Amino acid sequence: MNFKNIVGIFLLLTSLNVISQDNSLAVTQISDELKKNANAVVRLSSLDIVIEKKNKMTFTYKRVVTVLNEKGNRFVEAYAGYDNQLKIRKIEAIVFDEYGEEIKKIKKRDFIDQSAVDGGTLYSDSRVLYMPYMPTSYPYTVSFSYEMETQNTAFIPSWRPITGYYVSTEKDSYKLKDLAKLGIRYKTKNFEGYNINTKNNDTTLEFYLSEIKAKKPEQLSPVLSKMTPQGMVAVNQFYYYGYNGFASNWKEFGDWMIASLLKGRNTVSNETIGIIKKLVTGIENPLERAQKVYEYVQNNTRYISVQVGIGGVQPIPASEVDRLKYGDCKGLTNYTQALLTVANVPSYYSVVQSGEEIVDFDPEFASIEQGNHIILAIPNGDELTWIDCTSQVHPFGFIGDFTDNRNVLLVKEGESEIVKTTFYADNINTQNVNAKIDLDANGNFTSNVEIKTKGIQYDSRFGLEDLSNKDLMRYYKNHWSYINNLDIENYKFDNNKQSVEFTEHLSLNAKGYATVNNESIIFSPNAFNKNTFVPDRYRNRQFEMEIQRGYLDEDETEIVLPENYEVEALPESVIEKNQFGEYAIDFSINENTIIYKRKLLIKKGEYSKEDYKLYRDFRRKVSKLDKSIIVLKKNN
Amino acid sequence: MIKKLSLIVLLTSISFLSAQEVKFGDVTKEELTEKECPIDSSANAMVLYKYRNTYFEVNYAGEAQMITEVYQKIKIYNKDGFDNATRHISLFKSGSTNEDYSKLKAVTYNLEGDEIVETKLEKDQIFENERTYNFDEVTFTMPKVKEGSVIEFKYRITSPFYWSVDEFRFQTSIPIKRIEAHIKTPESFRFKPTYKGYFSFSPTKVSYTDSRMNQLLTRESYLLENIPALKEELYVDNMDNYRAGVSYELVSVEISIGKTRDFAQSWSDVAKSIGSSDDYRKDLGKSKSFKDILDPLVEEASGKEEKMKLIFKYVKDNIKWNGRDGVYFQNGIKKALKENKGNAGDINLTLVAMLRYAGIDANPVVISTKDNAIPFFPTLDKLNYVVAYAVINEKECFLDATQEFSDVNLLPLRDYNWEGIFIDNPNEVWKKIDILKPNQAITQYQISAKLNEDGEVEGSYNSRLTGHYAYHFREGIKDQDMDTFITSREDDLNDIEISDYQAKNVDTYEGNVSESFSFYQENGAEVLNDKIFIQPLMFMRMTENPFKMDKREYPIDFGFPFKDMYIVNVNIPEGYEMESQLEPFMARSADGNVEFKYSVSVMNNKLSLSAIFDIKEAKHSAESYLIIKEIFNQIISKEAEQIVLKKI
Repeated sequence: MNFKNIVGIFLLLTSLNVISQDNSLAVTQISDELKKNANAVVRLSSLDIVIEKKNKMTFTYKRVVTVLNEKGNRFVEAYAGYDNQLKIRKIEAIVFDEYGEEIKKIKKRDFIDQSAVDGGTLYSDSRVLYMPYMPTSYPYTVSFSYEMETQNTAFIPSWRPITGYYVSTEKDSYKLKDLAKLGIRYKTKNFEGYNINTKNNDTTLEFYLSEIKAKKPEQLSPVLSKMTPQGMVAVNQFYYYGYNGFASNWKEFGDWMIASLLKGRNTVSNETIGIIKKLVTGIENPLERAQKVYEYVQNNTRYISVQVGIGGVQPIPASEVDRLKYGDCKGLTNYTQALLTVANVPSYYSVVQSGEEIVDFDPEFASIEQGNHIILAIPNGDELTWIDCTSQVHPFGFIGDFTDNRNVLLVKEGESEIVKTTFYADNINTQNVNAKIDLDANGNFTSNVEIKTKGIQYDSRFGLEDLSNKDLMRYYKNHWSYINNLDIENYKFDNNKQSVEFTEHLSLNAKGYATVNNESIIFSPNAFNKNTFVPDRYRNRQFEMEIQRGYLDEDETEIVLPENYEVEALPESVIEKNQFGEYAIDFSINENTIIYKRKLLIKKGEYSKEDYKLYRDFRRKVSKLDKSIIVLKKNN
Repeated sequence: MIKKLSLIVLLTSISFLSAQEVKFGDVTKEELTEKECPIDSSANAMVLYKYRNTYFEVNYAGEAQMITEVYQKIKIYNKDGFDNATRHISLFKSGSTNEDYSKLKAVTYNLEGDEIVETKLEKDQIFENERTYNFDEVTFTMPKVKEGSVIEFKYRITSPFYWSVDEFRFQTSIPIKRIEAHIKTPESFRFKPTYKGYFSFSPTKVSYTDSRMNQLLTRESYLLENIPALKEELYVDNMDNYRAGVSYELVSVEISIGKTRDFAQSWSDVAKSIGSSDDYRKDLGKSKSFKDILDPLVEEASGKEEKMKLIFKYVKDNIKWNGRDGVYFQNGIKKALKENKGNAGDINLTLVAMLRYAGIDANPVVISTKDNAIPFFPTLDKLNYVVAYAVINEKECFLDATQEFSDVNLLPLRDYNWEGIFIDNPNEVWKKIDILKPNQAITQYQISAKLNEDGEVEGSYNSRLTGHYAYHFREGIKDQDMDTFITSREDDLNDIEISDYQAKNVDTYEGNVSESFSFYQENGAEVLNDKIFIQPLMFMRMTENPFKMDKREYPIDFGFPFKDMYIVNVNIPEGYEMESQLEPFMARSADGNVEFKYSVSVMNNKLSLSAIFDIKEAKHSAESYLIIKEIFNQIISKEAEQIVLKKI
């Protein structure tokens, strides 16, 4: 017997040992409480992080998940992402049946190795190993584990034991050992109401949590991450792709970024310098100069993402963008900043968590983990004007709902800080519909409609001007799907980028819009802004409610009646004001026309879960009154 | 003399034809200044010239290989066309053999002032990446792309998989101004072309002797101009069915002089060729191991039909589908049964083998599923799936055991694409047959409600679903959290409030599904002065026409024929009467395949509605589009009509 075989037997014995210890994996061992509303139960999730040296950190991870039905498969998460510096040492998965008996063991070589590049990226060295197991019956359990190693110690994963709905957790643990004494910092959030055990001294940090019931999603609730426990973790000293760093707060972090990631990457060709100088000659106002530069970037570059190694956080040099005329958010922002420097306009590279969901940077806790996008701040008196250099279509100074109203890191030598991006208030996000409707005795109408949008509502409309005729027809027919037989005869758009205002001018008609019944005509006067959204009904609401952005719609429609018809019945005018906003409709008759006015204000805000029902009632009322009808009768 | 001359002409035309007509770098100022696509003003980009040349050689190791040269020149009109500047080249690999690319060259052209400026794609801007175990990808994006740029790229692919010629695609998501494509095949490799799409085109053919290969070669060349973009539409089975293109399939190879090996020619040849594989010839008969399983299973069964159902259920319960198509076995019968999983071949061929063991006349039928497009000509390559077929007392039974909710002659919709290839080795019958079309799926709705003077409605809802309606309902409700499911039903049904919800017979695949609940709707009707206005179909009415565009190029595919039947009874408040009676309404297409009937009446304080929407065929030609759209329109207007109830 040679040495190799002895090792083999030894391993076999230990793994047998492990299984017998784990014999509680049978589904019957899960409490009914944890099975309720759950498609899967995380029996155990444990992550051990050891910082051995400034440039060596290891992860030992184990995740045991019992999948109760087909929808629970996604919680198995038996995969590990890796790249050139994040290496997988060991990876293994064992599958058990519902009685906790082992069915199958999946070794590293049986895992599937695949590129982890998404559609929007040209190239990335990210790869993933994932378990190729296809369940044949439910429930089943997977015990998945890996050991990984990296040189980079800048990025310490934070602890987030609850990351989804319809999943419960028996046990979750997180342990960090700082053998290299790099200096652990941490901050906890939303720990109230959870039975969490925290242990901490100079070189260790541990979190334990057990028995977490599955949650169900609810409309208009705050994002899950705002409601569930989170331990944010970082170390003061770190190593990152050849760079040493020290950062205990945002100011120091910003200085490290400048020194290691940004410095010396801002040169452009003499030719481009010439172009920019010429572009801004004679323009005094720095913001106007900045606008010229922004428009130059928009017209001459495009967004392409290439992420390799440190390229995940370091921009490619401005000279490269200058040459290729493309880059990702870091590259394009850094390039724009370089051009603004040429135009003698100061600007600040800023890190943001982008997306329609507003996620803030934590002002008190600096970590490289926060943020996924870069934008640029330009000082404008006491305020900041923001631009997103990856967009080729947004007006200068308008960032829309992708990065609005949130804490971001503004990077400025010696003065980096957390600041808030532009807030678009309720009454800035407006839509005004002005229409004239000519109704005939057969129930058909023709109409001229003007729709003006601003603020966040502008953001969702101005893209119309780039659509093809066919796509526009499709858009309007979906937008007004309740108007059967809609026919758009003509359209014209005005996109005023200076005032950030988009106007749609339409002429259209609809056959058989009104019901003609013997001597009477029945129709709904609100043809162009029917609000049909009614929030879902919950028998027992769990979460608070949040409206992230408010808006204001004010419409006026003039309806010209068919000849020889008069009003038989008109709905009552209504004004309703409450904590969520305001709704008002008003009808007036002027000879052979009816003037219909409508106002809907929805206020941004955080509301209690009890308020949800009231809000639902309000929206139901709006939906009902938006469908109000008018009855006309023939005058004899 | 004359003879010689024609020979020279022929030779020059050959050399003229084989060389690409537009040379790399031939970019003009006119192309750069062009502001709008002349073929389609809404296009964001246009292919100015698309060239492909595929031919075969023998490499120095003596192995046959296929070479494909690609060259494209693309004009970019606006920012939305920038996506066309990013290219992906897929390279197939299998074991140690792989496709390879070489000679990649790419340039962007811009007009700066009056000057054409070239920017080359550099080596470090080309990325090679292993996507999965059997395919690599080469990706690049062109430098300095702006509105108005012209880009050019060319490359060459060397493939050891010479029998598998990629489809020549003559239509893309942007218009193409000019296409030139050639395929040169040696006489020892016989390829057969299959054409598809809405344009008619045919190649010019030239045969000549190649001195290097010492072989008679045939070149087929395609020259096409002004091809519009292929645009997506709703309710289309598979857009690829309508994309202009041609694919080549290897029919036979001459192994040595005078001795050829045939692959495929007619559908019965295709059938025979599949039938002669080991999987079909030998493995379908390996049934000894079934004794222990099947004998006790069918012991008590009274007839063949019952036996078939038992075996069908057994295969469903014991082999789960791994999501893969397949004409052949992936695991084989033994392994599939042991590991309880397999591809479509493992499942449905095991089913055939077991049915045969039980004495049932069963055979495989090989098909192409909807996502795999329709094979327009006899070909083996375009078939991707197999189902089981049994005949019992002259009754045809199609079976697909891959899906939890499929049943006898109730197949997943992907199977209803086309015909099938019947492979009956025992009786030596190999032919193309029709797949039995799905039965009409029927939903019967019964609603009883009570309306009060405030316009509130409450009542009960009952429905019974058959066929594919039941199939899809079962899929939708499976593993759903009940509260969430009911909330989504409330959403679907115009925000009514649902209580006492019940769905019956949803865990099995046999029989009908029934759904019932009580409902309440606050604004079930509109009240104005002393009148009540009600749309009698209430929350069940159709409000949106799925067909919105003015015309349509492609046939409509509803998936399966269906019939929706409604009976609604509403008790109206005391002291109200209907202002006037409505005439019954009917709309019907000329061929009678689409029909809608609707009638409403009020008697003794009770409003009664009956409506039937009947679609007898799943597929309809593009010509009938306007009629179908109009019938949907009439349904919407009819169902939107208000019944006026007046206080007496």
